Amino acid sequence: MSEITLTINGKQVKGKEGDTVLEICQANGIDVPTLCHLDGLSDVGACRMCVVEIEKERRPVPSCTYPARDGLVVKTDTEQLERYRRQILELIFTERNHFCMFCEQSGDCELQKLAYRYQMDNVRYPYSFPVLPVDSISDYVVIDHNRCILCGRCIRVCSEIVASHTLDFGNRGWKTLVSADLEQPLGESSCVACGACVQVCPTGAIFNKVSLYKGKTDECRQITTVCPACGVGCELNVMVKDNNLVRIEAPRLAEPRGPLCPMGRFELLRQTPPRVTSPLVRNEQGKLEECILDKATQVVVQKLSEMKGSFASIASTRIPSETLSLFRNFSSKAIGSDRIDTLDGESYRTIAEGIRQFQNGGKGLDIECPIGEILDADCILVVGADPEKTNPIVGTLVRRAVSQKKAKLVVIDPLRDAFPLRTDLWLRPKAGSEGALLNGLASIIIDKGLVKQEKVPAGLVSALSKYKTVEASRSTGIAEESLELAAEMYGRAEHGVIIYGEGLLQRNDASLVTTILNLAKLTGNLVGNRLRVISLKAGANSRGAWELGLARGIKQDKPKGLYLLLADEPVDEELLNRVKGVDFLVVQASYHSPVTSMADVVLPSPIWAEREGKYVAMDGRVVELKRVLQPREGLPQDEEILAGIAQKSGVKLSSD
Amino acid sequence: MAKVKVASAWLDACAGCHMSFLDLDEALIDLADAIELTATPITDIKEFPPVDVGIIEGAVSNEHDEEVAKKLRANCKILMVWGDCACFGGIVSMRNLFTTEEILQRYYSTESTAKGSNIPSSEDLPPLTTVRPINQVVKVDCYVPGCPPNPKAIHYALAELLEGRIPVLPSEIMRFD
Repeated sequence: MSEITLTINGKQVKGKEGDTVLEICQANGIDVPTLCHLDGLSDVGACRMCVVEIEKERRPVPSCTYPARDGLVVKTDTEQLERYRRQILELIFTERNHFCMFCEQSGDCELQKLAYRYQMDNVRYPYSFPVLPVDSISDYVVIDHNRCILCGRCIRVCSEIVASHTLDFGNRGWKTLVSADLEQPLGESSCVACGACVQVCPTGAIFNKVSLYKGKTDECRQITTVCPACGVGCELNVMVKDNNLVRIEAPRLAEPRGPLCPMGRFELLRQTPPRVTSPLVRNEQGKLEECILDKATQVVVQKLSEMKGSFASIASTRIPSETLSLFRNFSSKAIGSDRIDTLDGESYRTIAEGIRQFQNGGKGLDIECPIGEILDADCILVVGADPEKTNPIVGTLVRRAVSQKKAKLVVIDPLRDAFPLRTDLWLRPKAGSEGALLNGLASIIIDKGLVKQEKVPAGLVSALSKYKTVEASRSTGIAEESLELAAEMYGRAEHGVIIYGEGLLQRNDASLVTTILNLAKLTGNLVGNRLRVISLKAGANSRGAWELGLARGIKQDKPKGLYLLLADEPVDEELLNRVKGVDFLVVQASYHSPVTSMADVVLPSPIWAEREGKYVAMDGRVVELKRVLQPREGLPQDEEILAGIAQKSGVKLSSD
Repeated sequence: MAKVKVASAWLDACAGCHMSFLDLDEALIDLADAIELTATPITDIKEFPPVDVGIIEGAVSNEHDEEVAKKLRANCKILMVWGDCACFGGIVSMRNLFTTEEILQRYYSTESTAKGSNIPSSEDLPPLTTVRPINQVVKVDCYVPGCPPNPKAIHYALAELLEGRIPVLPSEIMRFD
């Protein structure tokens, strides 16, 4: 793009053609106040704070929407402009009901900061006092229309970045309101609760219930770390005051990978179940009783030696690799068992076995592409996965591809459509017929000549021949036309991405994974030597745990003794089933839960915020979890406890 | 040098602004040499003599407030207002979101702990009006916003006046909360 030269405030400055006047001002360090503008979002000129004078223009113009041209003469700081800006502020303050004294955002409010800057100590216009609603039924977010200045940042971030487009303007003129769907309460709307609107709101109109009155930005320490909630590995900006979690924000919200999800932005702040603050041992009356660490570990050591050979261990995948590595060592040396697993180990073994069958012992998990590939997709196949629930940012990327790149979306799932309203085609195979469906698609793709793989192995073609359209339709219960349509959509795509997850992996059928990989290879969906296939991993360090060999699996029957390193992992039904019927259960956990009440020995464990170490994200990136809170005084770290037990058992641990 | 005469009024507000003035603490000792408090809620003198500086805390919420504001304006050379209620309407102006009937009903019936209390009526009671900041009733010369204003802001404004300047709070000192 060609370079242009402008005169701003009497100085020659350079910019690129296509820049706005505001962009050139900002790039050259010329301060122009803004309110509705936000880097990364489109500009709409809603607030008029950024007005500038441009020679030959009859009136001041908003610089955020004014395209720069070569030779423009611009003034940004004349007395008249400053007067206009103060006037605009006064008009904004009189339009709705702004009361700073009890507003949660006071001190963090961009409108208030501008009012201070323009020394707005009084308002010359009558106030409107409109009667406006407050929407507070969402679990995380409150919209107080009284404080809304209609800048539209929330609406733009919701559609442009989050691609949810839940928010938009409703009504017209001075009755305009930011509205979720068609005037639904936010908590009952299509809102994905990502909280991006909270982060971009310049006033207290949209605020975060979980962080309410916990602290202002400038009272907080900010630490950039990684999210422990799932395998995507998003960056988090955690704000901490007096060793308490205050708020979590996205450090680069406007970037494609920037948005967060409710797990990362809100749920991590909740520490509602009571913490395990002391070791507990089940006494003779069968009750859990507080005791000193030394006694608790002594009980564990004794049981380990009594039950030698019938103990197994399970670790959470929210725990960094360093601790996991030590735990593996602990398991083999102190427990003396190779029966070790992670909470999501089963899925991993299925994925890995599927990849092994596909490659005949090839290069492992690196065969999958990074999740950023979704953004460039023109067709997405979601197979037995609910990204919006398990890995919401993957869901965000899918929505972006659908709304911004017009990608076709095919959902294959017997039970639910993970993207209602966005799905082009929802195929509901009969239970257990996913294999027939996927092979059927491959077969149709071959028949229609949509194959892009250079040499299709003859074995594959003949194996697929039994999945002709008619047969596939019969065994899946899906109409032939639908199967053909899906095959066409995916087969003709330039950039087709397949996402599969828990729903498919629950079948514990590695051949389904192999089929998916074959499908991608057949259609030439390769980036370098990676296939455009993504398997969703629940745990932040699932991949790290797998690479460290923790997901070997507990073969044979249920173990008699179990050492569960649970940390702050949420407890679900599946986990309860796994620990039920164990004779002796040791749980090392941060919070009390149904699992700790089943335990014979409970040991404390730090929460994510008190840990540090490395995670391997699901796409193979090594990311770093930073310690944001000082661990509670007197509470031992996992390493201390494990080393203590090992020492009493007469072994020394190493974490290699 | 003769002391600067000051009078102040407490209209519809919580008295927090006058409290903030008292929170000047030891700075009050020096101020006492320079200013003379005449009619104020602190001295409890009701009738305003002619003064140099009039100060109003609170918004105008009824006919009585309006009369007091006008009387003080008539008796002072410079009128300064303290606090968000006086500058902008503040928290007391939230009443404007409801009708007077709704407000009285709520106050005397719904929220009252005394059973059978009625909305009082007497010709001595000033009728409630729309709540307005002072500058919508009389001319104001300078403003110290804040809820309440920080004692430092009040001190800055008084010091400026004593130096013969009309104060405008610098951005660093100005606060609305």
